[in-house]
Amino acid sequence: MTDKRVLVVDDEVHIVHVVAIKLRNNGYEVISADNGAEAFELACKEKPDIIVTDFQMPVMSGMELVEKLRQCDETEDIPVIMLTARSFAISKEQQEDLRISSCLSKPFSPKELLGNIEDVLYQKQVMVSG
Amino acid sequence: MRLKRILYAIVTVIVAGSLFIGGLAEWRDSGTEEGRHYAGYVQRIPLVSVCYMLGAVGVICLGWYQLRLTGAVTSIATLLQDDKAGGIHHSKRFFFPLRLKKIDELYQALSKHFAGCNTRITEYEKKIKDLQVQVQLSLRRGKNTEAIIYSIRDAVIVIDESDRLLMSNEAAGQLLSFDYNSSQFKPISELIGPDRVEFVDFLSHSRQTKGQATRKEIEFSKDGTPEIFDCIVSCVYDQDKQVCGAVAVLHDITREKQIQQMKNDFVTHVSHELKTPLASISAYTEMLADGEADDEKTRKEFYSVIQNQAQRLNRLIENILNTSRIESGLIKINKEPASLAMLIEEQLQMIKGYAEEKELEVTGQKPIVYDQVYVDKDMIQEVIVNLLSNAVKYTPFGGAIKIETEVDEGAALVRVSVTDTGVGIPEDEIEHVFDKFYRVGANKKQAKGTGLGLNLVKQIVEKVHDGRVFVMSKVGVGSTFGFELPLVTRQTV
Repeated sequence: MTDKRVLVVDDEVHIVHVVAIKLRNNGYEVISADNGAEAFELACKEKPDIIVTDFQMPVMSGMELVEKLRQCDETEDIPVIMLTARSFAISKEQQEDLRISSCLSKPFSPKELLGNIEDVLYQKQVMVSG
Repeated sequence: MRLKRILYAIVTVIVAGSLFIGGLAEWRDSGTEEGRHYAGYVQRIPLVSVCYMLGAVGVICLGWYQLRLTGAVTSIATLLQDDKAGGIHHSKRFFFPLRLKKIDELYQALSKHFAGCNTRITEYEKKIKDLQVQVQLSLRRGKNTEAIIYSIRDAVIVIDESDRLLMSNEAAGQLLSFDYNSSQFKPISELIGPDRVEFVDFLSHSRQTKGQATRKEIEFSKDGTPEIFDCIVSCVYDQDKQVCGAVAVLHDITREKQIQQMKNDFVTHVSHELKTPLASISAYTEMLADGEADDEKTRKEFYSVIQNQAQRLNRLIENILNTSRIESGLIKINKEPASLAMLIEEQLQMIKGYAEEKELEVTGQKPIVYDQVYVDKDMIQEVIVNLLSNAVKYTPFGGAIKIETEVDEGAALVRVSVTDTGVGIPEDEIEHVFDKFYRVGANKKQAKGTGLGLNLVKQIVEKVHDGRVFVMSKVGVGSTFGFELPLVTRQTV
């Protein structure tokens, strides 16, 4: 079991639901939001260990969310994994600039997503303890 | 040559006259009777000499005249010989002495020559007449060309080798803000304002390169709105194949560019829209395969999601395909008598689950109004689903959606309207909502979409069923989308 908290952001309730089940089954605590604006508020309040967000969402997109997270002291170091239905939507430069840990394109594998989350959290832990 | 001959003649006459007078003088002085007898004659010698001299002068004058005449004839003959239409072979044949036979020959040659001249004058007259006709034709063609250029919707500008305006049409005058009638032969750099400098430079540069037609997309600003023109400049060549100017044609491609942009947006949206249900199907299937659904209830829930998402995907694909099928006229239409109110009731049940997720209140027509229309049921259901799902999509949580059916006996039609308390559509965008790929800019963030749904509604209602679509909206208050279909009559069934 792990005490890590994951914020899952997607306007598709079914996607949030399936990711949440996968993560909960693997010992993660899951909180969710259906747009970027709501996710930012939740991130500031709940301080998740990692954020999994969709790229295209109403009200505030995934990119806008990451930009906002990086500008805020409380959230700037939270790792982000981006899910996107558009191939090549994010350039390498953007990914590096906004410190997006990884990008998964839809349709995605929940197993692969879990693996990515574990990798990113492990690296974060190594960096903190190192 | 002539002078030499004249001198010979004069010397001969003088010598002969002197010898004769000298002989007579000697004979008188010899003292013989005969000499004295002829002395009387001698006394008259000066008179005789004068006669001789006059005779000689006469002969000389005659010779001189003949020489002059011969010279003139020779000159004419030389001229005629030079003239291919004439007929004298050698001018020297007319040289002294001038004989009647030769004059006759000359006369015939001259007659022939003048006959030739006459023929040629007739030919020239005919040619002049032809040329006059051609000039008239050219003038008429010029006017026709001018009229054609003037009536072309595209802007046309013709410049000379010094970049001065030679010809243009009304569209060019309007686009580039100049009056053609008072602008001819003025440099285009003076006529066309500095805000169009890109075009002036391109036109001038294209003419100077003297190459084939050059093409460039140039953006003009009209009342603050950007307009894009496809500008093609071709050089104009004279008879010596030298560039003597250039002609520019500016075709407005703003609309094409907008459609292009809408198509690009459509591809982006449609790929996202297709991938979203596919992502759900894929993720839930994997979860089932990996045994992540540990109880029967969860498994059933997963199966249901997969089924719903597959239906959503299918509906989306149908929307895309039907739009192009209707447009191309390939779709099979099965019209039959039906009640719109009943079709609406069926679709209302389907949409309610979707509306409940957003806590929306959906109300249908109560009591159900009796109506009968002659429609393709599947297509009209598609229309109703599209209108209802749009209302759900663009109405915030806790809002309300109302669907009404109204029978207008007087106009012999049924009117269906779907009213929501959604975000509404700005006034300047409302006329475009039924356009293919069009999405209201302000509402793009509100919900995802392809920009196909309302276009499909319009196509089905207007193209397939001879009906009419309508929309009323106010930002922040809500929208009413609806359609009218003709009531069934004996003739239509």
